Amino acid sequence: MSGLFGILLVLLIAATSIAILVSRDWRWLIAGLGLQYLWAFLLIIPAWPLELAAVKIVTGWMAASILGLSRLSLAVEQPEMGPRLPTSAAFQTLAAGLVILVVMGSAPRLADWATAISLNQAWGGLILIGMGMLQLGLRASPFRTMLGLLTLFSGFEILYAAVEASTLVAGLLALLNLGIALVGSYLLIGPGIEARE
Amino acid sequence: MTSALLWIFLPATLGLALLFFRRAGNFSIAAALGLTVFLTFAAWQLPIDTVLQLGPFSIEISPTLNLFGRAFTLAEADRPLLAFIYLMQSLWVLGAALARPRPLFVPISLLAVGLFVAALSVEPFLYAALIIAVVALIFIPLLVPPGKPAGRGVLRFLIFQLFAVPFILFTGWMLTGVEASPGNFNLVLRAGVLLALGFTFLMALFPFHSWVPMMAEETHPYFFGFLIFFLPTIAALFLLSFLDRYAWLRDSDFVYQLLLLAGTLAVLFGGLSAAGQRNLGRIYAYAAMAGVGTNLQALGLGGIDGIQVFFALLLPQALAMWLLVVPLAVFWGENKQSLRLKPVQQSMMSHPLFSAVMLVAIFSLAGLPSLASFPAHLSLWRGIAAFSPWALLASLLGALGLISVGLRLLFTWLAAYEVKSKGSAQEDEAGKINKASLDLTNLYSWAFCILGIGGLLGYGLLPRLFLSAVPALSARFPQLFP
Repeated sequence: MSGLFGILLVLLIAATSIAILVSRDWRWLIAGLGLQYLWAFLLIIPAWPLELAAVKIVTGWMAASILGLSRLSLAVEQPEMGPRLPTSAAFQTLAAGLVILVVMGSAPRLADWATAISLNQAWGGLILIGMGMLQLGLRASPFRTMLGLLTLFSGFEILYAAVEASTLVAGLLALLNLGIALVGSYLLIGPGIEARE
Repeated sequence: MTSALLWIFLPATLGLALLFFRRAGNFSIAAALGLTVFLTFAAWQLPIDTVLQLGPFSIEISPTLNLFGRAFTLAEADRPLLAFIYLMQSLWVLGAALARPRPLFVPISLLAVGLFVAALSVEPFLYAALIIAVVALIFIPLLVPPGKPAGRGVLRFLIFQLFAVPFILFTGWMLTGVEASPGNFNLVLRAGVLLALGFTFLMALFPFHSWVPMMAEETHPYFFGFLIFFLPTIAALFLLSFLDRYAWLRDSDFVYQLLLLAGTLAVLFGGLSAAGQRNLGRIYAYAAMAGVGTNLQALGLGGIDGIQVFFALLLPQALAMWLLVVPLAVFWGENKQSLRLKPVQQSMMSHPLFSAVMLVAIFSLAGLPSLASFPAHLSLWRGIAAFSPWALLASLLGALGLISVGLRLLFTWLAAYEVKSKGSAQEDEAGKINKASLDLTNLYSWAFCILGIGGLLGYGLLPRLFLSAVPALSARFPQLFP
């Protein structure tokens, strides 16, 4: 994964994650998440056999579908808890820009030090980790929290795939991603469920 | 039959099955209790990797189960730890009969304990981080009941527990490099920092502890208690696996100093913060943090002494934390899901037995003489004094904080009787008396009280009887306890 295609993938990852951060329409958020998993899958392919790498995209799309279907069943979005940082698109884009600047500086060092991780994988992985953390820090609703966690984990998985190719780890990480989505789904629809116990 | 099948998959499967029978009330508790008592007995009595002749049948429990190219190993040396884990799970299931948490507790706790044992047995052991994260996820439906939005503490708990995974997995990858070139200072430093961060998230240590008191206020105390006991305990055992496995970690003085520092901070912060709270849930949360700190201090002593003190502390702490949370759960149910001291005062008067157990448990956690934690605390304080008098002073201050909590609760309880005696002239005396002796007529409350106070006093007064299990528990870590 080198040359123009690799750089294009990194740019697409950056663009998609910024779109997820800034967008307010949940449909765009879910679509963005799905695309993000596609780019992450393409970055993982050089490190893993195709059939194992496919687990990532299948799991990711399933997670996105679970969150999407749960959000679809809600009439109105739950309000976010407590006072948070500004949520204007300009502020968030600026914050995302700062994250990307930090990643531009640190990714080459990571790729230098961990030779198993290519520069594009380092860029892509660190961008997603940074954006995920930004999501978690800026927003406090369950939906946004789950998006942030899924983004963070897909970034981590790009980096980790380069150094570890175990079926059990792939399975457990897939389970974790699905678990995050299912918990997100429960937290979204839970408040509307009438307690019966 | 493999040991993993018995101690991992059997409880997990029953947990899943009981999800469908959770409204069957006591059936669920009885089934889970039967299994956990059996598994405790099996761990205590059945040897692993030895053929047993039972009449015409022969049984052998083999230690390893291979799954997806990785092994789950529970060997002979793990039996004491398995017995401890399932003994504690039996107590938590038994306590559910009194605490009456949501019926989902029993199946999910069984599933969680199966996964905890899986985390301790998986090879390579680093994957334990992933399994522990899965436990955090399956607990969310318990922590956030249907019809209620997720609180900020629960979301933070989820985020911090999941944050630990990348740190620990990456550390594992780096540690193989460190083993190959232990002289590479940069690599060792990076691996050490990542490992410390991972465990700080996992064990809710300062500064990533904020979810602990928040969640204690938001959720049912029984669920919170289960999590805040099992998660840091399993994480501490996981940490011991790191120390046991990697010689450069085990032989580094800096690692032990760091553990001692982190533990001392947690004890000081937990003890003093508990003293300033007006909510029993938050008091419990900070007391639990102080308990985690004490465990880390024990590990920080290093060597054979450290691991022995760690296991000597584990059983009395586990018992005290369980005994403390059962009354809290009862009070929570009676006071519209609140544990603020003022409304709880009335419940304390109505439940003198529970209140007495609660007080004894707090004093035991503080390390008061003649109670269960005291012998281990004494060894710990003696060990800390040899390292740093300041650390000892901080530990004693933390313990003092917990003692002051106990005294305050005692005064709150006694004050309730005073208020009652003043107001009794105007109120309906008969009704009050009936309410005041709510648990004095309950056989289960008496059994709980006798078991609790008797256990804590017995352990404190006859420590040799219980401490004889410590070498067997430590034997799981042969490099640390040769």
